[in-house]
Amino acid sequence: MRHLLKLVIVVVLLAWVSSPAQTDPPAEVDSVEVAEVTPPGPVTSLSVTDKDNDHGHATVLSWEASVDDSTGLANVISYEIFRWVPFAMDHVDSLRGQLSGLRAEIAAAEDVTDEMETRLDLLEAAFDAAIDNLPQAHGQYPQNGEWRSVGVVASGVTAYGNTGTKEPTSADYIPDYADLYYRVDAVTADPVVRTASEVYGPVQCYGQWFNTDRSPVLVAVLAFGFFTLLFVTLAKKGTDLYVRPLAGIEAVDDAIGRATEMGRPILYVLGLGSAADVATIASFTILGRVAKRVAEYQTALIVPTYEPIVMTVAQEVVKSSYLDAGRPDDFKEDTVFFVTQSQFAYVAAVNGIMLRELPATCIYMGKFFAESLILAETGALAGSIQIAGTDEIAQIPFFIVACDYTLIGEELYAASAYLGREPILLGSLKAQDYAKALVVAFSVIGLIFANLEWTWFVDLFHVAN
Amino acid sequence: MKRQFPLFLVFIFGLFMVFQYFVPHETSEWVYEFLLDWILVIGIFALALGIWSLYKVSVDKIKTRKANWGYSYVTLFGLFVMILFGFTSQNGDSWGWYFIFVATVMLTIGMVIQAMVSSGQKGLSLILAGVFLVASVLIGMFDNAWSFHFYTAEGLQNSMFRAFFDHILIPILSTMFSLLAFFIASAAYRAFRARNLLASLLLLAALIVMLRFNPYLSPIFGDYMAKTSNWLMNVPNMAAQRAIVIGIGLGIVATALKVILGIERGYMGKG
Amino acid sequence: MSRTAVIVFAIVVVLFAVSWVAKAVVLSDTSDSGTLDAFLVTVAAFLTLAIYSFLYKDNPYYKFAEHLFVGVSAAFWMCQGFWTTIVGNLLPRLSEGMANWFMQPYQPGGYDLGFLNLSYTVLYWIPVILGLLLLMRLSPKGGWLSRWPLALIIGTTAGLNFVRYLRSDFIVQVSSTFVPLLGQEPHQWQGIGAFFSNFSLDASGQFVALLANWVIFIGVFCGLVYFFFSKEHTGLFGRASRVGIWVLMITFGASFGYTVMGRISLLVGRLTFLFEDWLGLIT
Repeated sequence: MRHLLKLVIVVVLLAWVSSPAQTDPPAEVDSVEVAEVTPPGPVTSLSVTDKDNDHGHATVLSWEASVDDSTGLANVISYEIFRWVPFAMDHVDSLRGQLSGLRAEIAAAEDVTDEMETRLDLLEAAFDAAIDNLPQAHGQYPQNGEWRSVGVVASGVTAYGNTGTKEPTSADYIPDYADLYYRVDAVTADPVVRTASEVYGPVQCYGQWFNTDRSPVLVAVLAFGFFTLLFVTLAKKGTDLYVRPLAGIEAVDDAIGRATEMGRPILYVLGLGSAADVATIASFTILGRVAKRVAEYQTALIVPTYEPIVMTVAQEVVKSSYLDAGRPDDFKEDTVFFVTQSQFAYVAAVNGIMLRELPATCIYMGKFFAESLILAETGALAGSIQIAGTDEIAQIPFFIVACDYTLIGEELYAASAYLGREPILLGSLKAQDYAKALVVAFSVIGLIFANLEWTWFVDLFHVAN
Repeated sequence: MKRQFPLFLVFIFGLFMVFQYFVPHETSEWVYEFLLDWILVIGIFALALGIWSLYKVSVDKIKTRKANWGYSYVTLFGLFVMILFGFTSQNGDSWGWYFIFVATVMLTIGMVIQAMVSSGQKGLSLILAGVFLVASVLIGMFDNAWSFHFYTAEGLQNSMFRAFFDHILIPILSTMFSLLAFFIASAAYRAFRARNLLASLLLLAALIVMLRFNPYLSPIFGDYMAKTSNWLMNVPNMAAQRAIVIGIGLGIVATALKVILGIERGYMGKG
Repeated sequence: MSRTAVIVFAIVVVLFAVSWVAKAVVLSDTSDSGTLDAFLVTVAAFLTLAIYSFLYKDNPYYKFAEHLFVGVSAAFWMCQGFWTTIVGNLLPRLSEGMANWFMQPYQPGGYDLGFLNLSYTVLYWIPVILGLLLLMRLSPKGGWLSRWPLALIIGTTAGLNFVRYLRSDFIVQVSSTFVPLLGQEPHQWQGIGAFFSNFSLDASGQFVALLANWVIFIGVFCGLVYFFFSKEHTGLFGRASRVGIWVLMITFGASFGYTVMGRISLLVGRLTFLFEDWLGLIT
């Protein structure tokens, strides 16, 4: 503690000393006067490169502003970017148009004639050949082509991204592995008065195999994977891993016992998530445990589902639990059923089930949205013990208010490890804890560095989209 | 094989998606797009399973005369009539015999279900089903006011499909949603009664924010209330959100990793 | 049915009929299909009331609305999925014949791997086969085959979520906790003299801005401590965890309060429908 205090004092002093100096206001810019005839100075040092970290159909341009951009004559109002495009590109465009026209015609036709079919085959072949020909056509620069505008930026801007799509069927297609040539015009208020830069080229664009912008994520993936595997291995070897008790989890067993005593069913709601949502996957594991207990106690279980795939998986899970409990014959197919894939229709049906079947216990685990409170309040009206868990932050308050126990966020994911008590699942819980400890450590380091204005550490965590 | 091969598939596809994230090359993008498309298509097949489950649960309910079995007819009616609407539409302004056609189709289905669920005499139901079927086919052949129709997504905007959407689905949906206004009041009351430190904290914060947004009460407390509530939303709220988000993120990441590695396999049945 | 139930039912039927007729008369001035429209508006109104009746207790009218809702909505999503995904997107890529049959423009395409050209026809038959495997669930023998498509879905999305959340919920969140505790842009350290001078909770004053950063830092710290599973929450650790849960509760309260007003406007919306669109009492 004392060390921390000292550190804080040092940092405070440093910050005080380095309080910023007054900066001069920017120089007044002369009002722009449009020179009608004098062409501006050209853009210099134009350079074009392949865009990094992309699929390979884009380039990046940068240049130095014209001497007359806000200084000198100050008559540059925009820069227009040109790419040299071979006429073969028009041929591609025309074929593309003909193809889509013909396809629409065929779709609308009552019956498709042989002539149409032949025409279509010919057009398709011609289009493919035209696309394949593009690199070669670009190689003919400066013959058989012309300069075409690809974009305009305002004065003061000295960079441009010429981004195309990778689909040849799209009009924005830019071919990869073809020689591209660019130039940038400095344009005045009178569009005719302009000065072209020197031509830059050839440059080719191509796709990359590793996105360097995402390296921090790669480091995190490797580190997290390593920790998880390490603790799972330790757990397998029999190292005793402590986990603190969670009230919501311990309530599950009691709640099943209560249902058995009362002779009333247990309602398990998997939420509105799809089987692809990790929250739903965590919920499947919990459902498995609940169903096993239910099978042992011979209590009734009701699992209405919102998503057909979730229904499929849940059926499988419950069936296996009955098998595990040694009572495969007690499993009934209609324990897990599909209601509808409409949020409030699903809620209406589940509400109905609650009021008619009066379940002793309602368990809500998974993804929930606005319906959370309707479900939980109806369950409370029906007099059920309610246990909820969700990772939808906005819905947690409603569950806290209306349910007896709520698993908050990460606790839902931890629940499957708790209920299973399998060492390997507990092992990964330990890895999660270490990651949290790392977060705290990084935050403290980051804070100190941020206050010292050492931005390199913060930049380490910068991930482009 | 029955269990190992699917787990192997999970591993392969999971690993691929992790790699894909770091590979910007177009090949990787293509495969990514195809995979997402595939999931969509499989989802539609799953919907057929869902509809089958709904149908089967309803019919079983009628068959075994479970409590409230009569309402299952309502569900089945809604299901089939809406599907029928999804495949037919008006040709002009007149409806012609359309509604009679719908009625005969519904009666046909009803009689078939009747025959399926009844344990004894099925003959009469089947004969009636046949009669209604013939009637609906005849109307379908000779009535030109409407026809079976192929739609695009926009095409679903016309016909009775749209009318049912507007006058049955939307009103019930928005009414169910608006029930929240009542439930939020009862939930607040429940929190009020709980009388422990945590519930009181929750309620206090809720009250401050609620007063802030209440157009009548907010002016009484003046500027200070607005500022306090903004502060609550921007500062402690932000802190807790971040802690929860980091926790959830780690939970998701850990679970996803366990799924890929086959450690967490609860979702895959046995046998 | 009890006697009361019959009487109530009769009253409801009569009210429905009266409302239908009255609405049809009103609508006949403006619309050609007044009778049908009036019927639909009346149905909408009665279904609205049927759902509200649930607040009193479960009753046949709610049951009716609920069951109708379930059937209609399930079919709605099925039709929507069929026409958009199957007919709109799948068939036009699968085969020219089917695209023409459903009057959709054929969308050929594919991807050339260099050594192998995969056309859409091949690529899009795969999910169809997987979809059919999913349907094998219905057969008692082939149910295990349905795990293959599930494995594809779960594997793909698990991989996707793994990297996505590691980025958005971990790395990005960690880097945003790097807040300046001692004053920096836009709340620059202005020396100790001005420290308390603008004490106001709108976070523009220096003291308040710094306080906010400290509260955020300590809040995140204690919140994370609360989520520690593998350490006993006792002693200093336990106290931090207590603070953590307090901060969480304040957040949940704020979020609860924030939602209330939105929910009340939903109720107002429904009442507007009943009194304006149906009864025409307010305009």
